[in-house]
Amino acid sequence: MENKLVDHLFRHHSGKMVSVLTRIFGLSNLDIIEDAVQDTFIKASISWRKQQPEHPEAWLTKAAKNRVIDIFRTLKAQKNNLPNITQGTDAIAINELFLDAEIEDAQLRMIFTACHPKLDPRDRISFALKTVSGFSTKEIASALLTKEETIKKRLMRARKAIQKSDIQFYIPQGKTLNERLESVMEVLYLIFNEGFHSNNKEHLIREDLCGEAMRLCKLLLKYKQTRSPECYALFALMCFHSARLPAKTSVDNEVLDLKQQNRALWHFPFIQLGNTMMSKAVETEDFSCYHFEAAIAAEHLKAKTFEDTNWNAILKWYQALHQLQPMPSHLLTMAVICIQNKDYETADFYFKQLQPEHLEQRAYLYFAAKADYFAETKNLKEALIYIDLALYSVTNSQEKAYLQNKKAALLQILN
Amino acid sequence: MMIFVGKEYTDLGLSPEDMQGRMEKWFAWGSKMEKAGILRGGEALTPQIRRIVGESRTVTDLTSAEVKEIVGGFYLIEAKDFDAVQEIAQDFPDYDLGNTVEIREIMVFDEH
Repeated sequence: MENKLVDHLFRHHSGKMVSVLTRIFGLSNLDIIEDAVQDTFIKASISWRKQQPEHPEAWLTKAAKNRVIDIFRTLKAQKNNLPNITQGTDAIAINELFLDAEIEDAQLRMIFTACHPKLDPRDRISFALKTVSGFSTKEIASALLTKEETIKKRLMRARKAIQKSDIQFYIPQGKTLNERLESVMEVLYLIFNEGFHSNNKEHLIREDLCGEAMRLCKLLLKYKQTRSPECYALFALMCFHSARLPAKTSVDNEVLDLKQQNRALWHFPFIQLGNTMMSKAVETEDFSCYHFEAAIAAEHLKAKTFEDTNWNAILKWYQALHQLQPMPSHLLTMAVICIQNKDYETADFYFKQLQPEHLEQRAYLYFAAKADYFAETKNLKEALIYIDLALYSVTNSQEKAYLQNKKAALLQILN
Repeated sequence: MMIFVGKEYTDLGLSPEDMQGRMEKWFAWGSKMEKAGILRGGEALTPQIRRIVGESRTVTDLTSAEVKEIVGGFYLIEAKDFDAVQEIAQDFPDYDLGNTVEIREIMVFDEH
């Protein structure tokens, strides 16, 4: 179809306009602002049915600008103390806030607000998706596989926290910037992972989440004050993972692991972009978790087949990662890699540092790995005990089927 | 004439993404009819209603949120019969919102 709009134009524009209007009217008026922005999209979606404007984005910006006066009137009726923005120098200043660079500035402010440490970590993701990314509560709920009611509660809590702590709408400077930036990157990382690792059957939603995280990460990289090696590494990691996204699900929408993926489907331009980002990320010696995670992802992409995987290199990166950020799941992964490498002694060394309960609902992965360990070391009876433990604690039906096949294979050897 | 009846986007809390998708479908539908050379007119209506009722001509101002359903707009097209319009109405983008298309024929009076 001719005149097709840019993908997600409305969604992205909504995030932009909410940010700019918040810069003008303050976070305390977020409700009114969101309603006003919503209204411009309703108007557009109806009046554009017959004829789309030549410059849709400019049309939307202008519509939002016109809403400024409406919002102003609403607030004035509530007897808020407001500057007179309808004329004089204030009016000029407001016009300038709608210039591209200023819109991005407002968006960065909104990102820092959404990722403020005073907000509950779970509320940050929902609030960011709503205000920065223009998702509706329904879209957030289905993206995060959560109930809409829960999302509404999280959004409400986030707003209350903003009011209560009197969080300001600005980009932090100096010492606090690094700390706050870390929290922003963490949220982007989590949003990306929600998309990448989720079992959500809705393919599009998963891609949307990954795309959103990348878009916002790119925004951070665009500005000198928010750009950092860590941020480059995070973006590289997202590129490497995204390259594999097309191969991650089968035609029947089943999640495929690295062993089963058709590597011809990997998206090469993302791998290249990831490499470019990675080279910028290592310009200093300051390595973050994102550096090591990106290195691991890159190592997987280097292998032409699963069998070609350089497990020694991956193990080395995991060791570095674990040193920087000790986590039970890293220990388990390292044990699994050692089994792959037939280095059973080191595998045992890692197992000994682990308790299944450390892995919480993923304890079955520990049991399954132990079963593999015993099967490989020819202790089939122990292997069976562990596969049963794994089967007992697994909840995902796909994983369960996979484990049952393993058990059947073990039984066959035993008989 | 195809008359569109149901809920307004305003009252459904649709997301920007959803609205964009719907608008694009409306646009595609309109262009399709235009290309086929059957489109004779059409309008979208705003959700404000002024209702005048009864002998006393009582006036009430309402918005779409206050009524069960509202006429959102119409298309005027030229077609052979109801079945032909029914076929065209398959592309109406908002069935999933519970909205309805009503097909009505414009009465033609014989000239004497």
